[in-house]
Amino acid sequence: MFISPIKRTLGAAAIAMCASTAAFAEDVELQFYFPVAVGGAAADTIQALTDEYVANNPSVKIDAVYAGSYQDTVAKVLTAARGGDAPQLSVILSVDMFTLLDEDLILPFDDFATTAEDKEWLNGFYPSFMENSRTGGKTYGIPFQRSTPVLYWNKEAFKEAGLDPNTPPATWEEMVSMGKKLVKKNASGEVERWGVRIPSSGFPYWLFQGLSTQNDVILANNDGNKTNFDDPKVVEALQYLVDLSGKYGVMAPGIIEWGSTPKAFFEGQTAMMWTTTGNLTNVRKNAPFDFGVGMLPANKRRGAPTGGGNFYMFKGSTDAELKAAFDFIKWITGPEQSAKWTIATGYVAPRPATWETDAMKAYTADFPPALVARDQLEYAVAELSTYENQRITRIFNDALEAAITGKKTPEEALKEAQQKADAILKAYR
Amino acid sequence: MIHASAIDRFLNTFGSWALALLWGLPLAFAIWTAIHPAEFEANFELLAPLTTVNFVKAWEAAPFARYFLNTFILVTLILACQFFLGTLAAFAFARFQFPGRGILFGLVLLQLLVMPDILIVENYQTMRFFNLVDTIPAIALPYIASGFGIFLLRQTFMTVPKELDEAARLEGASTLGLLWRVYVPLAKPTYLAYGLVSVSHHWNNFLWPLIITNSVETRPVTVGLSVFASTDSGTEWSVINAATLMTSAPLLIGFLLFQRQFVQSFMRAGIK
Repeated sequence: MFISPIKRTLGAAAIAMCASTAAFAEDVELQFYFPVAVGGAAADTIQALTDEYVANNPSVKIDAVYAGSYQDTVAKVLTAARGGDAPQLSVILSVDMFTLLDEDLILPFDDFATTAEDKEWLNGFYPSFMENSRTGGKTYGIPFQRSTPVLYWNKEAFKEAGLDPNTPPATWEEMVSMGKKLVKKNASGEVERWGVRIPSSGFPYWLFQGLSTQNDVILANNDGNKTNFDDPKVVEALQYLVDLSGKYGVMAPGIIEWGSTPKAFFEGQTAMMWTTTGNLTNVRKNAPFDFGVGMLPANKRRGAPTGGGNFYMFKGSTDAELKAAFDFIKWITGPEQSAKWTIATGYVAPRPATWETDAMKAYTADFPPALVARDQLEYAVAELSTYENQRITRIFNDALEAAITGKKTPEEALKEAQQKADAILKAYR
Repeated sequence: MIHASAIDRFLNTFGSWALALLWGLPLAFAIWTAIHPAEFEANFELLAPLTTVNFVKAWEAAPFARYFLNTFILVTLILACQFFLGTLAAFAFARFQFPGRGILFGLVLLQLLVMPDILIVENYQTMRFFNLVDTIPAIALPYIASGFGIFLLRQTFMTVPKELDEAARLEGASTLGLLWRVYVPLAKPTYLAYGLVSVSHHWNNFLWPLIITNSVETRPVTVGLSVFASTDSGTEWSVINAATLMTSAPLLIGFLLFQRQFVQSFMRAGIK
């Protein structure tokens, strides 16, 4: 049957009108939960960006809700969702993707990215950040507040130890040999300054993943249902970490506090530290000496994990609301907005386009260390993320701690961890 | 035996001082870091310069004035409702015979065994049903029928001598008059002790208020305090401690002012 062209045009126009009414004329109200994990005015920046979007899109109202730490935020989202009141969008740890999938709460972005422009946007993120966003060929998370660990070093301490202040260690061996020169003891033999500090409290798996990646092994597969904790290369990496304070004596023994590490660096108790790029602004403001920022040293290869939070969209809302949420996420990860966010917080801008903006160019010209994290992304891998993520990382953390404190050998600890992880993940294979 | 009692006294004094020190040290550290610039967090120099900049920073990091008001409304609301419901329920359980009394009281006691955190999802659904999400009453409602309060008041009411009860009845007091004129005044120490526990608990409560509220207008100080948990960028102890002191100050000052009454009321409530 043939429909006359006029009728067809009319029909198309009618459909288009319906669609546009649904998408634009109707006012939508969105709830957007966000966590704050950096000091300063991160919450204010989010609010300001949201207000800017709303001012340009009067038919959309966005209620940006501060939801505590990452853990609090995921608890709040899960509670609200089970109570039938899920927000339309939220920023949650990228590693919680499998948990949210397991709870059947999130939607793939591919369903909303229908136009060519949308698809281009979706493909415009650094691939290493997308590793924690994709599974089964679908994209569930959009990188937003992402970070990666880097090496900070004290140039004055390097000079004092007779090292070139502009060259950080490039390999594991160099970190040990330089570390030995940097250790400073007082007259009674107590260490006043250690060579390096790799924090191991709270979430030791994250920085350890730097070491394991450099030893050319990944900790979990892309489907999130199998771990490689007892791989010989993982054991070797853990042995190196343990040896730093044992055999080589370049790092303080025992568990090293994450929170007080920048402070120890400022006070000269360590000449080098491994910590997140999220600390850049903090170090820049508070270090009383000239410092350098470099990539983590390499062993078999260069390597680092990524970390931080992604945007997720939740089931249980109308199509118009979800469409608006998608549009907002697209906007806030756009170059100009993303540049504002990166400059305010120190997070790594997740799209090459952001680094091309004038604002970012001015920022990096003024403060070149901000570029190190971006350049390291080429070698970065997905942060450890599996189904039952909280339990699996807990098991792994406990194993690392047992080895670091000397309760078990690295091999014993990791073998046990692998067995426990297998017992849990079996159900997801 | 004089020796023995001297040793006893020494041990007692020593023990109390040791405990007091243990309890006071974190507070002393908090005060030290809060009133000095950040460089002195771990360096104890007696003549380190004093500063109020940490408090200013902390105050500006979140709308604390509004949060204090919300917390104040919240704890007052909870305490008033707890006293009202607890008094009536406790009086019924203590002095009335009715079918199912034992089972009902058992159910009330059962509440003591259930961690409130388990019920978060259920409570959220209830609040949503009543359309109360993001209101102060929503934070308060799950806590106003307190099993602990009912139990405590019932035990106190049961110790009120029957003679007083009967004398008042002979004078023509109504049941509610009897409760108001005889039982409540005699249970004052219990009210004070319970009030202290309740206020400090709800002043410090964090997870439920965070989950059930979304806006500045309804959130308590603990939510404001959590802004300082900046794991990604290094911990600023001086600002955190200034904020902690600031948010706990009303409770601390209140306790120090009324310390004697509190201690006495706990003792009386305990002895009976």
